Parts: sequence; structure tokens; C-alpha cells
Amino acid sequence: MSLISKIKGDKAGTVLFLMSFSVILITLGIIQTLLFESLTFFQEVASERGWFSLEFNAEGIFSTSSLAALVLIVCLVFEIASWKDESFISKIPNSMWFPNKYVVNTILVISVLQFIFIKGFLLNIAILFAVLIWRKISGVEMKRQFGGHLEFTNTWRNLLGLFVFISLFDAFTMNYGGAIGEFFLQTTWNPTGSNLSFGVNSLLLTTLQVAFGALIIAVPLGVGTAIYLSEYAHPRLVAIVKPTLEILAGIPSVVYGFFAFIYIGPLVVELGEYAFANGWIDEPPNVMNPINGAIVVGVMILPLIASMSEDALRAVPNELREGSLALGATKIETTFRVMIQASLSGIVASIILALSRAVGETMAVTLAVGTIAVFTSNMFVPAQTMTAYIAQRVGGDLPFGEIGYLTIFAVGLYLFVITLCLNLLGNKVLSAYREAY
Amino acid sequence: MKDIDKLQKRNRTYRDLTERLGSTGLAVSGLIGLLFLGVLVWQIAEPTFISGEEGEIPAASESIPVTDYILKWDFANVDSETGELTTEPIILRLTWEDGGGEQSHDLQVNIIEEKGVTKDVNITSDGLDSEIVEIGRKTKFYLYSNLEVIVEVEQISGPVPSADSNGYPVVDSFVVSGDIHILSDDDGELVFQPLELVGYAVLFLLIIVMTWPKVGALNALSSLQPYRRFIRPVFYTISGMTLAISQGMFVAAALGAVCWALSGVMLNRILEGMERLQNIGRELSETSRLKHSISNRDGLLMWSRMLFVTSTIFIPLLIDIPFLTERYQDIFVPYASGIRAAFFGTIWVMLIAMIVSIPISVGAAIYLEEYAKPNQMTKLIQALVTNLAGVPSIVFGMFGLAIFVKQGGIGWGLGPSVLAAGLTMGVMAMPIIVLAGQEALRSVPRSLRESAYGVGCTRWQVTKDHVLPSAMPGIMTGSILAMSRIMGEAAPLVVVGATAMILFDPEPLAALSGGNAEFTVIPIQIYFWTQEADPAWHSMAAAASIALICLLVAMNSIAIVLRQHFRRRLNS
Repeated sequence: MSLISKIKGDKAGTVLFLMSFSVILITLGIIQTLLFESLTFFQEVASERGWFSLEFNAEGIFSTSSLAALVLIVCLVFEIASWKDESFISKIPNSMWFPNKYVVNTILVISVLQFIFIKGFLLNIAILFAVLIWRKISGVEMKRQFGGHLEFTNTWRNLLGLFVFISLFDAFTMNYGGAIGEFFLQTTWNPTGSNLSFGVNSLLLTTLQVAFGALIIAVPLGVGTAIYLSEYAHPRLVAIVKPTLEILAGIPSVVYGFFAFIYIGPLVVELGEYAFANGWIDEPPNVMNPINGAIVVGVMILPLIASMSEDALRAVPNELREGSLALGATKIETTFRVMIQASLSGIVASIILALSRAVGETMAVTLAVGTIAVFTSNMFVPAQTMTAYIAQRVGGDLPFGEIGYLTIFAVGLYLFVITLCLNLLGNKVLSAYREAY
Repeated sequence: MKDIDKLQKRNRTYRDLTERLGSTGLAVSGLIGLLFLGVLVWQIAEPTFISGEEGEIPAASESIPVTDYILKWDFANVDSETGELTTEPIILRLTWEDGGGEQSHDLQVNIIEEKGVTKDVNITSDGLDSEIVEIGRKTKFYLYSNLEVIVEVEQISGPVPSADSNGYPVVDSFVVSGDIHILSDDDGELVFQPLELVGYAVLFLLIIVMTWPKVGALNALSSLQPYRRFIRPVFYTISGMTLAISQGMFVAAALGAVCWALSGVMLNRILEGMERLQNIGRELSETSRLKHSISNRDGLLMWSRMLFVTSTIFIPLLIDIPFLTERYQDIFVPYASGIRAAFFGTIWVMLIAMIVSIPISVGAAIYLEEYAKPNQMTKLIQALVTNLAGVPSIVFGMFGLAIFVKQGGIGWGLGPSVLAAGLTMGVMAMPIIVLAGQEALRSVPRSLRESAYGVGCTRWQVTKDHVLPSAMPGIMTGSILAMSRIMGEAAPLVVVGATAMILFDPEPLAALSGGNAEFTVIPIQIYFWTQEADPAWHSMAAAASIALICLLVAMNSIAIVLRQHFRRRLNS
């Protein structure tokens, strides 16, 4: 302490800044780890399939990717030229910026046809960019003619540059994208054995089944609890229910998993046997299944939704409630037509954040859903979520650098991106409602 | 007119009905949470009541390494008067393979009524040094082995260690049960050092004096006035002595030492306050003034009460829960297993995570609240903190795997060890603590900062001397809650590489010194036990769950006490 107390004024600020800078380092570390290992994974998959070659490939110049790169480069040149010098736009004849509708329709037809026959995904993106830039610059030209001014965004150009890079990379390294396509588009997940296949969709489907199943259970109960606690309940009841919800939130997920395994699983199996006897499902049910996982994850996210929604409801000014009651509305009408409307963004934010929590839940899901990756709509048989795959895969001894080790990073990156998007969205909605009151 | 009346009436009935149904439905949805909790607690508690039948437990059997093995029987099998065996003889068969092929030796163990009688057995390459040993009940004895190979210990007859006096397995009971001894244990030995107990008592008395100052006690204390400057050195010396002469339980000795040190500080502050009171010409009987003239009375009382509650568990009591602190996992016998290794693993991982994360995150929170200018960088850090708090825990595990565990590249190469696990957990706890710390700092009133600036303090002085002390309880509450949250996390540690079973206490720094760095924690233990097919293991998982939940509740209640204290002080 004496060392720190010697530091005066701004020096302390610097030390504290370095401490908070570690947050950036951690984030970069996570992203770097996941991205680096995932790229290695795609390389490995491509080379396993015999697709991948980093050498310069002369035939690549004539591929759709290089055509796409060409279109994108032209777009980029236009973009930069128009950004550097505004008068550049006016040098080009007006007929090019404002063509008649036949030209537009022709381009549409070409892009559809090439998607069907050539299957050049990147070429499609290139044409999309060309059209967008065309529209943008023609809008600028119109503005210039009517006395507007130019506005450019960096994001747009960065995105364009990224696509140029991707399509060039794709053109010169043959079919590197095949591995990515297999990962995102196929449905068979078989990372061990002889018949390797890396279609993440079977994991994704189970994850979504569990997460949305959990929402179906948790949203009515959680929002109902929140409304009841903030509008109806006697303070003494609130004093009992709120700590209970806090305890529910504090119980470790592995204990929930144990609970699901020994209690909920057998209950769901009884239900499944009834369905099997009636011929609604074609396989006998198992103790481990996505319904089991959905129920237990629903119980887990219930306290989160309840407490966040209650906060949102309590933040609504009392004048709204009183005004509605004064107009003669009953309490339930006030609740559903005024209070919920007013706090809707807070409630939606709580649901989005709860969804992100449900997607990222690991131990309970591993114990409740099972460890067999299947792609099926039958929710009574064992399946595997993305998190459960990671937990199960690293459970055994994994040599670093093997393809089994690399798969978990690819799956982890996908998971990270999904939850990050959900969190960003949720926090944005949340800050919107915080600003409102 | 009639129609309108009818319409209104119907409308009113309909509205009444919706009103009733709606509020009932909402109440039901609120109470379903309670129901879930009830079912959960019942379903977890139920399997820990094991109703066993005779002979259900197989004989204890274990492979032991070259070191030692502890055994303990609870009930005697030798009649104290006649000297005859009341059950089948307890025979342990020790087998091992050395150069001359497989060797097998039998060891008969007789358990007598008298406690404390023990005899250790040495295993050498010639065989055992005694064939029959007499051991007191509830007393440990050791098998020492100086062989280079693993010795297999198997009990071939007689009651297993946890069996009643008739030789039937004691399983019809709660798995997490224990004994509480006050002041002395079963053998009549004291469970404390005298100095520890005296320090504990002194702390208790001082807490009472400080909470309710009474004239009599203050008059007695005022005889110490002339020696005030010696008080602290003397108390610190006694505190050092307490540590120095401790044998056995280190925790109790350390707590006793802290008790002495804190008592010294408290006594000094009380005398100081009394002196100040007398200097302005007041009487000691004006106790309400005395309360205000003791500097930082609230803070001292808070710390000393917490210390008092903590040391109550360790100094005068001996709480003996074999499941938690004595038994390692048994490979074959579920009911003879315990979570000692996992328990200590959890404690070490939490400790390392705390040391790593709390200073850095509190610093970050202070920066973001007090120092940061509202620019792009601050916005970025804030957004990252908010979003990192929502990243799935398993992603942090993969971060730990790639950075701390893996060798080469940017990996630090710590291997699957306690240190790597603690660092991973620390990184995971960081955003949570930063957010809680920011919340606490934000709740410090603006006027406090402004008045401190008004008398000419620098920013660092304002932060250190005024803002931080006021926000400290909030920050501590947040930190404890974050710690209790990551205590129950198993996912990152599965990725980092916690092992399913280990039969020794994990060492925190083994990764650096090159020892055996394997570790496990309680949630991992529950995870692996749940995956076993035999329902007996599920009972053990339930017992471990209960132990974990109790630990979490203990931590959370500390946080709640702190929060209450904080609230009261803000209100007053």
C-alpha cells in the first residue's frame, strides 16, 4: 500500500488505466485464440480432403472468385476515387449513374443465373457491392446536383476491402472455402473415426432446441413473476420470493444438471413413452434428451428474466400507472396495456440476455441432453449441443494440434459469435430503455 | 336504457373475472419458482439418505502408491471383558508384485474399545513387520510402504471401515454427517492452543465493550491509559507468539494471531477515543459521545465481527466432517469416498482466482468511474467489460486452455494444474467484479467527492481516502458474489483439464516446481460422479452437491451481512 500511496495524481491514473487495459487484452486473447485455432482447423479439414493448396494457382485467375475480386477491386477503386476527389463523380456521364430500368433488370438476371449455374458465392457478393456502390454514388450525385454534401463511412470501405481480400485468397488457394461451407451447411457431425464429417448444424439445431425450449418455459413464468412481484404482491411475499429466486440463480449449473439427470429425465421419458406408444415419434425415448435440457435450462434462466424484468417494471414512472387507473382502467388492464408497453424494451432485453445465457450453458446441458450428435427433430432421443460437444471432447486426453483438438475452437468461435451478437443486441436494447426513463 | 344497464353489468362481470383470473395466474407463475426450488432441494437431499441393506457394500479395496494409507474403524470388534472377537476378524490382504513375482500377505486388525491405541505397519520387501495389530476405535493407523511398486489393499473379511458394532455397513444415514466437538475431541485432547482461545475471548470482550460501552468497563480500561503506546507492540508480539507455538491446525493459529492483532488495534482505538473525550472535558459516562470519538468504529466493528464469526468455527470448535476433509475418493466403494481432494482443490483455485482478479478488477473499476475521460477508449473498455460478462464460461475455459495450459506459441505451458485453473477462473471473474465495483463506486454520493476536492485533495487522495472506503463494502460484496458464482462453475475447468479422481491434496504451485499438478474441484467431482452408472455414485454426487451449496450459502451470507451493514450506514 505504501508503494501505491507514493504514486501521486496522474501516475495513479496511469497504473489504473493499465489495469483496465487488461480487459482489452483478455478480449483480444479470446478472439485471437479462437480465430487462430479455427483457421488452422479449416486448413486441416481442407488439406484432409485434398482441397487446400497455398501455391499460386494459374487456373485460379479464371475462376469465379477472381472475377469477383475483379469486380470488387473496381468497386473499391471507384469508392476511394470518389472519396478522395468529389469532382470525380461529375466527370462521368450522368447516363451511367442513372441508367434505365432494363440495365438494372439485366444485372439482376445475370446474378441469379450465375448463382444457379456457376455457384459463385463471392461473385454474388461482388455484384451486390457493385449495385450498392452504384446506388450510393448516384444518390451522392443527386445530392450534389441539389446542393447536398458528401458523407463516407470507413466501415463500408473496410468491409469492401475484406471481401477483396477473401476473394483473392479464395481465387489463389483452390477451394479453401469448401471446409467453411461444409462446416456451416452440412448436418452430419462426426469428428472421430474414419468417416470424418464436420457439419456443425446438428450441434446448432440441438442448441437452438434447448435454448428456445428454455425460453418457452422461462418467459411466461419469469415475466409473470416479475409482474406479480412489482404490481400485486404483498411486500412480505416479495421478501420471500425474491431471495428464493436469488438462491435459484446462485445454484451451480452442475447441480442443476444432476437434478435434471435424476429427476426430470425419468419424467420426460414417461411422456416420451406415451408418445412412442401412440406412434408420434419413431424411436423410444431416452433419459437424456433435449426436452430435459430445455426444462432445466428454463429453470436456470427464470431468475434472470424475473429479476431483470422486475427492474424494468419498477423503473416505469408511477404517473403512468396512476394516470391509467384514474381513467377507470382495472389493475389488470393497467398492467397489460400500460406497464408492459412502457417497460417492453427492458423485458425484451432480459429475454435476449437470457437466450444468450441459455445458448452458453454447459454443464447442465451436458448432463441432461447427452453426448451423441444427431440431426433430428425428435426431441426425445439423446443429442448434443455445441457447449456439450466442447466439454465432452476435451474430457478425454487431447493431443494439442490434432483435428479433434481444433474442432472445439471452431465450435467455440461460432458459439462466441452467437452469444456476442445476442449480448450486444441485449445491451443495446437495455441502454435504450435506460435512456427512456 | 335497460339494455345499456345489462351491457354494463355483463361488462363488469367480465372485467371482474379477468381481474381475478389474471392476478391469480400471475401469482401462480410467481410461486412456481418456489415450487421448483422445493423440488430441487428435495430431489438433491433425498438420495443422500441411503437406506442400505446388509452386505450391500463390497469390501474395501484400493491400490495404494508407495507412500501411506489411512484406515479407521468406528466400532470395536473385540469384547473389552472377555477379549474375544464379536464379529468376523478384519483381515486386509496386501498384494504387490516385485522381482520375485507376486507377494501376498494377510494382516489381521482387531479393533478394541479404548481409543488412541495405534500401531503403524511397515511394508518391506520381506513382508509385514507384524501380522496382527490392535487398534483403538476411531483411531487412524498407517501402512507405510518403502516398496517401489504399487501395493493393492483388499479387505477380505470382517466389517468395512464404516460398519456398526454388529459388522453391518453403516449406510442408513446421511452421507454428509459429522461430529462437532466443543473444546476437546473424543479422546479428551484440547482442540485449541490456550493463547488462541484467550485471543478469541479478548476479541469477544472488546467487541462487547465497543458495541455497548458501559461505564464500569470503561473505568476498568482507563487504568491502562498510561501504557497506551505499549499496547499495540505487546499485542502484536503475542500474536506472533501464537503463530510461532502453533502445532497442528494452521488455520486456527492464524485466526488466533489475527484476533490478537485486531484486539490490539481495537483497544488502542478505544483508549484513544477515551483520551479525546476527556481532553474536551467530557465524562466517560457520556457513552454516546464516546461512540463518535472512536475513529472508524464502524469499520473496526465490521471486521472484528466477521473475524469473530469465522474463528468461532475454527478455534473453540472442532467440526469433523469426514466426507469433506478426511476421505479421498475410493475407486470401488462409493460410500467410503469423500471429496477431500476436491475440497482443497476448490479452496486453492478460489484463492488464486481472488489474488489474480480482485486487485486488477477493482483498479479497473476505479479507473472507469473516477479517472476515465468520456472518450472512445473508455467507451470501448466499458463495452468490452459488459460483453465479457456475458460470454459463456466454456469460452473462458478455451482461452485458459490456449493461453495458460498449452505449451508453445502464446501458451504459458502451465499444464492442467491448479495454477492454470485459478488464472482462468480469475479472468472469468474479472468482468463481474468490475461491473459490481463500478456499481458500488457510482453509489457513493457526489457531495463526498466534491467536499474532498473543496478542501484541496488531489484526485488520488479523494479516491483513496474518501471514495474507496465508502465503496469498499459494496466492492467486497460484489467480489464475494462473483467468487461464489465461479466456485460453482465446472465448464472452464473441464476444458482446462481437471481430472476425475486424485488421491492426494492438490498443490497450488506444483506447475512451477514440477510436481504432480493434477487437481479436481467439487463441481467436477459432481459431474463425473453423475456420469457413473451405479446409483450409489449418484448418492455421492448428491452429497457433494449439498456440500457445495452449503459452501456457497456460507459465502453469500457473508456478502449479505456486508450489504446490510453498508445499507445501515448509508441510511444513518
